[in-house]
Amino acid sequence: MTTHVTDARLVAARRRRILRRRFEPVLYIAPAFIVLAAIIAFPVLSAIGTSFLDASLLRPGQDTFTGVDNYVELLADPTFRSAFGRTFVWAGSALVVQVGLALVIATTLNKKLFARGVVRTTLIIPWVVPTVLVALIWRFLLDPVSGPINDLLRPILADPPIWLADTRWALPMLVLISAWKWTPFSAVIILAGLQQIPRELYEAAMMDGANAWRRFTSVTVPAIRTSLALVTLTTISGAINNFNGIWMFTRGGPNGATEILTTYAYRTAFVQFDFGKASAISVMIFLMMLVLAVLYFYAIEGRSPKKRSVR
Amino acid sequence: MKREHRYASWGAHAFAVVLVLGAVLPFVWMLLSSFKTAPELNGADKQLLPASLYLGNYEKLADTNFFSYFLNSVVVAAGTTTIALLLAILAGYGFARFTFVGNRGMLLIVVAAQMFPAIMLAIPLFTTIKVLGLLDSLLGLILVYTSFALPFCIWLMRNYFLAVPVETEEAALIDGCTRGKALWRVVLPPALPGVMAAAVFTIINAWEEFLYANTFIDTDAKRTLSVGINSLLGEFTTDWGRMLAAGVLVMIPVLVIFGYLQRYVTEIAGGGVKG
Repeated sequence: MTTHVTDARLVAARRRRILRRRFEPVLYIAPAFIVLAAIIAFPVLSAIGTSFLDASLLRPGQDTFTGVDNYVELLADPTFRSAFGRTFVWAGSALVVQVGLALVIATTLNKKLFARGVVRTTLIIPWVVPTVLVALIWRFLLDPVSGPINDLLRPILADPPIWLADTRWALPMLVLISAWKWTPFSAVIILAGLQQIPRELYEAAMMDGANAWRRFTSVTVPAIRTSLALVTLTTISGAINNFNGIWMFTRGGPNGATEILTTYAYRTAFVQFDFGKASAISVMIFLMMLVLAVLYFYAIEGRSPKKRSVR
Repeated sequence: MKREHRYASWGAHAFAVVLVLGAVLPFVWMLLSSFKTAPELNGADKQLLPASLYLGNYEKLADTNFFSYFLNSVVVAAGTTTIALLLAILAGYGFARFTFVGNRGMLLIVVAAQMFPAIMLAIPLFTTIKVLGLLDSLLGLILVYTSFALPFCIWLMRNYFLAVPVETEEAALIDGCTRGKALWRVVLPPALPGVMAAAVFTIINAWEEFLYANTFIDTDAKRTLSVGINSLLGEFTTDWGRMLAAGVLVMIPVLVIFGYLQRYVTEIAGGGVKG
């Protein structure tokens, strides 16, 4: 008799336990996802929606649906076209300079150096420093009148460049300054990859008569493929999304010489208050990122589906 | 096996010295120049070292809102880090311990969310924050920064929790711990390096952020360091001494935090490669 009662109780308890077990993961993950949905997912959809509107902050509540007009307008807009092209130049040069330098730095740091830890720590400092400080320092160093760089050049060059105010120099200088800040991050990732390579691989390659270049291309590069892919992805996406690294130095100037899509979108939205057009520009940036992400997952996840499963 | 004791070549060391100088000299120059008087900074005859320990540039900062900017940045960084870590620990644990439908898909979303263009969300977030009445408030910034830090922090925490053996946790559960208690007492301690790395990542990003802070905050006294210094830069491009003094003061907490947490910085990079 009593066993029946306890049985029923047990069943109820088990049912409750099963129910709780099923909902437990949700309890842990839900808070984070609610915040993410409110602050990221909803605005993404909203931005895509706004890109089909004629919307301006100057005329609140008077948004009208205009279909793909914003996009058509953009394609005919010469400023957009040049900013679009310059974004590729900007991201491409960032990739070459930063990943190239990072490889050299990481290879050096992977050797047995005196005080290697201190060297590595020091090299990361530019990365942890906020961009506004980078802007402050480099705008001072490159100041045409009172900056130390032109003080050094003046005895050699009669007429040293005005750097960030010169349409020819501004973009290359920003690429270099960006590299100064961001290369350490890439170097740390590549170094982590290099340290995983067993020495035996190099010894075997040497015994097979491989020279230094051959060892680099046949042993090092394949071994750090994942790190390289990650660095490539973060560098390109970081460059395309970069706004601080340009706005704080030149605001896209002089004369549009450093205008990329992010600065153009910002100017359109918060200087001209054309929210519809600015949303269309940012959707274009978003599409570029999407293509990148798909390429990355195809290259990395696609090849080794087993290794990358959840556990 | 013979152990390698020999150091790398002189060339490699020379190159390392060049790299270190390249990373450090701009900061050293900023520090030295911040003690120079205006004639020393702009005069024809320039010296490497300041003539005396002139503190006028630092005193002049009191005329600006610099110290408010500083405090605001500290408040925002602390608030963001606290909330983001709390949520990320819970979610990271959920991802590491429970397998359910769409787990892998959700993780992909988490990683992809890293790549969303900040500029794309600027307009809708501006509108949302305005509706919530959080425009021109630090709380609005904290909320936005938290959500931007979350995907990576969740990813990092999940990787660390995966490395904690399930058995210890099961033992705790059998001993009558609730899951929450087991997470706090058993699972979290060994994953502490992950928590620190996530904290470093969140703090760096909160100090760095400019776009949203610039568009959401109107009142000068409520600005964060990034926006505040950027506006001062526009105002005082001829008064470099004052700006460099501000730069030195921003650099100090960065170095202190970095010096204390620097070993976790490599974990950030590691967190991206692992998994």
